[in-house]
Amino acid sequence: MKNKLGAIGKWLGRKLMGILKPIGSFIAKLWRHPKGRLGLIVVSVLIICAIFAPLIAPYDPYDVTERAAKGLSPSWSHLLGTTITTGQDIFSMLIYGTRVSLIVGVVTGISIAFMGAIMGIIAGYVGGAPDTIIMRVVDVMLVIPTLPLTIVLTNLFGKSYLMIIFIFVLFGWTGLARVIRSLVLVLKNANYVKAAELAGASRWHIMFKHILPGVSHLLIMNTALTCAGVMVAEAGLSFLGLGDPTAISWGKMLAEAQGGGALLFGHWWWIIAPGIGIFLAVFSFMRIGLVMEEILNPRMKQSSNVYKIFKTLNNKYIEEVFAQMDEADMLKTKKAGEEA
Amino acid sequence: MKKSYLIKRIIYAVFIFLIVMTLNFFIPRIGVSDPAERYYPPQGNMSEVEYEIIKQYTREQYGFDVSPFEQYLNYVNGLLHGDLGTSFRSGNPKVSELIGERLPWTLVLSVTNLIISLFIGLIIGTIAAWKRGRWQDTTLLNLSTISTALPAFFIALILSFYFGFELELFPAYTNPNMVAQFDWSFEAIRVVMYNAALPIISMSIGGIIGYGQGTRNAVIAVTNEDFILTARAKGLSRNQVIFKHTLRNAMLPIVTSLGMSISGLIGGAVIIEQIFNWNGMGTLFLEANNTNDYPLMMGIMLFMSSFAIVANLVTELFYSMLDPRVTVGERR
Repeated sequence: MKNKLGAIGKWLGRKLMGILKPIGSFIAKLWRHPKGRLGLIVVSVLIICAIFAPLIAPYDPYDVTERAAKGLSPSWSHLLGTTITTGQDIFSMLIYGTRVSLIVGVVTGISIAFMGAIMGIIAGYVGGAPDTIIMRVVDVMLVIPTLPLTIVLTNLFGKSYLMIIFIFVLFGWTGLARVIRSLVLVLKNANYVKAAELAGASRWHIMFKHILPGVSHLLIMNTALTCAGVMVAEAGLSFLGLGDPTAISWGKMLAEAQGGGALLFGHWWWIIAPGIGIFLAVFSFMRIGLVMEEILNPRMKQSSNVYKIFKTLNNKYIEEVFAQMDEADMLKTKKAGEEA
Repeated sequence: MKKSYLIKRIIYAVFIFLIVMTLNFFIPRIGVSDPAERYYPPQGNMSEVEYEIIKQYTREQYGFDVSPFEQYLNYVNGLLHGDLGTSFRSGNPKVSELIGERLPWTLVLSVTNLIISLFIGLIIGTIAAWKRGRWQDTTLLNLSTISTALPAFFIALILSFYFGFELELFPAYTNPNMVAQFDWSFEAIRVVMYNAALPIISMSIGGIIGYGQGTRNAVIAVTNEDFILTARAKGLSRNQVIFKHTLRNAMLPIVTSLGMSISGLIGGAVIIEQIFNWNGMGTLFLEANNTNDYPLMMGIMLFMSSFAIVANLVTELFYSMLDPRVTVGERR
């Protein structure tokens, strides 16, 4: 019995190390990259803020009973002052706002990566009817205006961040699935996949053991960039009051600042603070995404960062990868021909 | 452009429209057995008998007293006659009329924004590509990283704060009389431009930098191509190379992103419109949402989707005209 447990423990330990080791070495690579270090530091600070918010925040940001401390200017006791309407401490709100942004961003980013990978791989590898159906769904999703639909759906099912995450995932996987699909179409004809097919491997085995690792670099990079994009979008929805009405988020802080007279009374810090929060979160995730791309796909080093995002969104990026692949193949065949 | 390609794209666009239309019909009916409950949710102070009467009235007024299939047929029939439905607002105005009233005001913002972004973006991008690696180029690169991380509505709030409230140069809120009193006189147009300045600036900062960066990369990508070298080698002047060879090919990625911006022309400014109290489609949609006005909401949604479908179609056709390789690839 004891031996058995020990064996299970060992097995689990090995599996866990198998997962953690690449993550660890990856973070180490990010740290060694001059641009990645900044992003990594900011993200770590944000994660610490989100987890230990009650310890870091000097006041309770949900406390709306401080009638005497309304609309204070920044001082040592209130680092960013207090709100004009309810006297909440803005610095504490800023710290707590990290939670919503990070949770919505990261959960959506990872879910989109899952959805996009599954759909893209099925569409690309299986082909035929599943491919047609998935690509038609993608085309329909692309023309439906996202923001109005989000407003309608929150009206139907109630306002919550779960709903927002659901809608982001529902609409976010389409672009990624397209990109993954076109990459899978190339991988499908790679020799190692052909070899696995000839050896009698099942479709699922090939899809998850051979194709998935081939597209993983794109998935990892895309997850970080989606997180960044989702954070901006989440701030916008929260600003319109479509998030959870009880939670504190940066977008909602901006809306409260606008509605609470921050503009009128000249309390610029009330507007700047959540804006800087959004900026730092989005910027650091974007940085990490771009650095990841440089690490995972060194061929792309030359062209500029924002254009890469732009192109990823337009599925142009992948075409460039293909062009490079074709070029490499052509060179190879040329060489082979010359040698022969 | 091949005719078969054109017909294929048009049929496909119609097919997408049919799906979107059907979805649009079903969305208000999700989760309720009777759509009247969605149109008039029960209020706390209402007795059941009263609510039943109201529901009965709603059913009759909005044609819910027939079977769902007939409702769908009626809906499609209405759409064929250009009828998007009737709003809940007092006087029961047609949804299409309300959209017609607000659409120009949204277009004032978004079209001006698009033109400014495209024009200045193209110039900046070409300069950056020209001065590749110098300070002009790196500044644009850094700005584009920053502007992607700053939401447009945050920029709008800052602008409204600084120029609207502190300096009082521009109005921070649009005067609602502006729409009612508009009469195409010079003075009225001036007032509109004065009011639209801040929203347009806050929208176009990101657009200018985005288009600038896009142009820069497109131009540089094309300059590296062999045919540019050939053109230079055969003795064409610099200007000829730029205008005849480089820019035409650099237009391709720009047209793609332009198509994306065009499909977002009428739905893209909801938050900006809300901040500046601009009476456009975005505010109309938010008003509809606040009053639970489903016919209006779904009408706007359908309108926006159709607009996006048409814009995508036009972009694709235009693209295939610029780059005939697309039509060839389609046949494979």
